[in-house]
Amino acid sequence: MVLEENDPGPGISVLLPGHPRLANDESDQVFHTGAILAIIDNSAGWCIRDHPDYVEGTSMATLDLRVDFLRRISLTQTLRVRAECEAINDNVAFVRATAEDAESGLVVAAGLATFMLGTPSGLEPKIGPV
Amino acid sequence: MGDAFFNEAETGLMCAERHLERAAYARFLEIRLMIEGDQLQTVLPPREDLIGNVNLPALHGGVLGSLLDVTASLALVYQAVLTNSPRLVNIDVDYLRTGRVLQTFGAAEVVRMGRRAANVRARLWQDDPERPIAVARAQFLLPQRGE
Repeated sequence: MVLEENDPGPGISVLLPGHPRLANDESDQVFHTGAILAIIDNSAGWCIRDHPDYVEGTSMATLDLRVDFLRRISLTQTLRVRAECEAINDNVAFVRATAEDAESGLVVAAGLATFMLGTPSGLEPKIGPV
Repeated sequence: MGDAFFNEAETGLMCAERHLERAAYARFLEIRLMIEGDQLQTVLPPREDLIGNVNLPALHGGVLGSLLDVTASLALVYQAVLTNSPRLVNIDVDYLRTGRVLQTFGAAEVVRMGRRAANVRARLWQDDPERPIAVARAQFLLPQRGE
C-alpha cells in the first residue's frame, strides 16, 4: 500500500497493487471485497489528518463504514483509493472515498464513513463508568 | 429438487469449507469456521500485523469489516447450500466497541433470501457474545444458473 505524493486536489490518494493473497476466489483472481473495504477504511482514516480542522495527535475510531461494490477488478490491476474528509464537527469526521482501477479510472467501490475523534492527548474522554 | 444448480449431494458445510479454501484473502487472515448448533461461526485468530491502532492496541477496523464480509457470505453459502459464490453488492458496518487483540468470533443470519438477492446481518464479538464489537448489514447477489 503506497501513499501517492503530489496528488492534485483535496484529500489523499493511495495505491494498492493486486497480489494473489488478496484474491476473492482462486478461480477468478479478482480483489476480495473485504480487502477493498479494508483499504477504504484505512485511507478514510488517513485523509482526516489532511483536513485543516484536524488537530495533530488526535486519536480516531471508525463509527461506521458503508461500501458499495460497483464492479469487480482483476488482481493484475492496481487499485487507487481517493479519500476526502468533508468536515470535522463536534469531534465527528465525515469521509467519502472511492476505489478505482488506477489504469482505466473506472470506479470499483464507493465508501462513506464517519469517525469519532478523541482528545489530542490520545486519551478518550471518559463518560460514566467504563 | 431435481435442479442441476443445487447439487443434492453437497452439504452447506462442504460448500462453506470450499468457499473459504478458495478465498486467498480469507486464508491470509487465517479465518476458520466452525459449527455451533445449527449455526455457522467464524473465528479470526489475533495477530500483530492485524493491529490498526498500536496505542490502544486495537484490531484494524478494515480487518473487522473483512471478517463481517466473510462471515456474512459463508453463512449464506452454508444456509443456501451454494456451490458458487454469492457476490457482495454492499455492506454497512457499525463499529460498536474496540476490537481488542483477542480471538474474534463471527456469526450471521440470512434475513431474506430471494431468487436473485439475499439480505444478511452479521455480528462479531470477542469474550462475550452479548457484547458485539461490530455489526453489519450486507446485500448479496446470488449466483445464477450457468455462473
